[in-house]
Amino acid sequence: MTTADLIGIATGNLRRMKLRTSLTTGGVVIAIGAFVAMLSFGAGMQQTIAQEFDQLGLLHTMIVYPNGRYRDIEIVPDTSRPLDSAALETLSRLPGVRLAYPYERFTVTAQFADTALTAYTQPLSTTALSTKLYSDLVAGRYFFDDNAHEALVTREFLKDIGVNDADSVIGDTVVIAVDVVSLDSAVSALVFHGDLDSIKARLRQIDEDSLFSVTYLRRIGMRELNASLGRFLHGYLNARERVSDTVVVVGAIERSRNRRRGQPIITTIAVGQRLSNAGFSGGPLELATSLGSGQLFDLERGSTGGHYAQVTLDLEPSAPYAPIRDSVTAMGYSVFSYAEEFEEIRRVFRYIDLALAMVGLIALATSSLGIVNTMLMSILERRREIGILKSLGADEGEIRLLFLFESGLIGLFGALGGLILGWTISRIGSFIARSLMEREGVTPVELFAVPIWLIGAALLLGMLVAVAAGYYPSSRAARVDAVEALRNE
Amino acid sequence: MAIVISTYELCRYYRRGPQEIRAVDHVSLSIARGEFVSIVGSSGSGKSTLLNLLAGLDTPTDGDIRIGNDSLTAMTRRQRAAYRAQRVGMVFQSFNLLPYRSAVENVELALYFTQLPRRKRRDQAAAILETLGLADRMGHLPADMSGGEQQRVAIARALVKRPELLFADEPTGNLDHDNATAVAELLLRLCEQGLTVVMVTHNLDLAQHYAQRVIRMHYGAIVTTGDGSQPR
Repeated sequence: MTTADLIGIATGNLRRMKLRTSLTTGGVVIAIGAFVAMLSFGAGMQQTIAQEFDQLGLLHTMIVYPNGRYRDIEIVPDTSRPLDSAALETLSRLPGVRLAYPYERFTVTAQFADTALTAYTQPLSTTALSTKLYSDLVAGRYFFDDNAHEALVTREFLKDIGVNDADSVIGDTVVIAVDVVSLDSAVSALVFHGDLDSIKARLRQIDEDSLFSVTYLRRIGMRELNASLGRFLHGYLNARERVSDTVVVVGAIERSRNRRRGQPIITTIAVGQRLSNAGFSGGPLELATSLGSGQLFDLERGSTGGHYAQVTLDLEPSAPYAPIRDSVTAMGYSVFSYAEEFEEIRRVFRYIDLALAMVGLIALATSSLGIVNTMLMSILERRREIGILKSLGADEGEIRLLFLFESGLIGLFGALGGLILGWTISRIGSFIARSLMEREGVTPVELFAVPIWLIGAALLLGMLVAVAAGYYPSSRAARVDAVEALRNE
Repeated sequence: MAIVISTYELCRYYRRGPQEIRAVDHVSLSIARGEFVSIVGSSGSGKSTLLNLLAGLDTPTDGDIRIGNDSLTAMTRRQRAAYRAQRVGMVFQSFNLLPYRSAVENVELALYFTQLPRRKRRDQAAAILETLGLADRMGHLPADMSGGEQQRVAIARALVKRPELLFADEPTGNLDHDNATAVAELLLRLCEQGLTVVMVTHNLDLAQHYAQRVIRMHYGAIVTTGDGSQPR
């Protein structure tokens, strides 16, 4: 018997038992529908994240940190190689690295028309801006010149200053300013802080009789040192000088949820250097950190040869990230790879998919019982037919195949129907989710997707489960005694 | 004449609880090519069991069946299926046609287990029905045909693959006298064309009138073998 014969006979038999076949197939349709709908949710989420990662170029971006600085909450003494311009040069020459550029940010006061607010500013070169990471320009243009007094702003920044139309700010000016401290003010505070009376009062407190006691001298010395340090820090932090620059807003970009991608204001390298080289502008905590790392007086950053907090690597799209990561690690730096983070996300999704698939499989297992039942009933009713086929020359294998084809066809039709049902559910789910997101003011994203692999998996699974369910009945059919079957009639 | 099928001490025993039923008990016989043999006997004498054994539908408890030089009992199940598909035609008392298939489809079914191409199967099935005078009944379902017509369709199904052996189990049992005679005449005609026919019947007159040899069975054993009225 040929495959076409088997399909023909199986289809004819299923057609004769319309109601029973429809009900059994219905069970498979619902099970596969549930399977597809659930997995389409996982697939949709995954697809959306993958698209976002890809659109933003994150999969080809790596962040390099000096060792021991990776975790902000834990300040570990930095004994590694500094992340300086020499390191930047070496990193940029690594195979697979298209561009290496420093990532810096500092707090500024931004004055836009009548609105003033505190925001982070990030200087970026024109080359760095041309990477995919900053590719989503929503208005205006990028910088053409690293020395220009120009800035890009994010849509989030515009929202903060009450502007909805990004185009409306193109050409406007923003005054960005930093309040910096200088060593002069600190030294001055150290030397001149306090009046003569307070010095006299402290001198009076000294016990002349105990001046030859080493312990006493040490106590006085410590007290004076503490007071001096306090005066130094007070002077360092409070006697600030304002340095400002006026820049023209030439463009606006979308800002991702990932803060490493773009700060609210992006300036040219020239503007960044001017502001960041003006002095130390951080708060007490950053000051303490600088003291701890011994970099208090090493405040010149940027391209002037100072130390960078981070360096961003823009990788060739075809470059595998693992060798690059290993090279950077071997150089004595820590690495953060978005590709690895994405892999981690995918791993989590695999577990989610597995859990969702299990629910679908339970439904499918239930429907497979329906197939077993239908097939067993069919065998009972068709004993005579089996006997006739055997008397005509059918062997056990052909009888088994015939019934397996029947259950397989139930699986195939059920899987096809299930795909349609699952797709419909996913479309309805997507519509509801998007409506809710729009109502909540969130940019709608696609939560459901039915990729090709899911279609293939559903068809294959439907048929496999159906064939597996049909295996026992078909074996029973194959074992039907032809003499008995024909005698009964 | 050349022996087409023979049995040697053929036994088929059943067990019904503690009791052993000897349906066929040490039967030895030989049937020549083109012979019309009739097996008669009362109900339960083992004639249908013997026919099923000869057709390869049942397996013996002991003894041997030889088809030419080949031992049927030594064949695998697949080989026995091939033997039924290619060398044997079977006709039953209750016709055993598939009720949801037309006459031509029922006949065509026998060719599913041969290597014949699909299109030729239909042509061959139609041709044999035409030969048996059923040209106008090809598209009819068994339920729309008389008993005689149904049995002729069953015979057509048995003959369409041009077998060497035709086993007929009470082929006239469900037919009236005229149709029974017509079927018996048909079998005789086929036999005259070279087909070996083994017919089981309880109708001794019919057997003696058409068969060349009549084998009488009783309690699973051959009790007498006599000539029929037909010349050998």
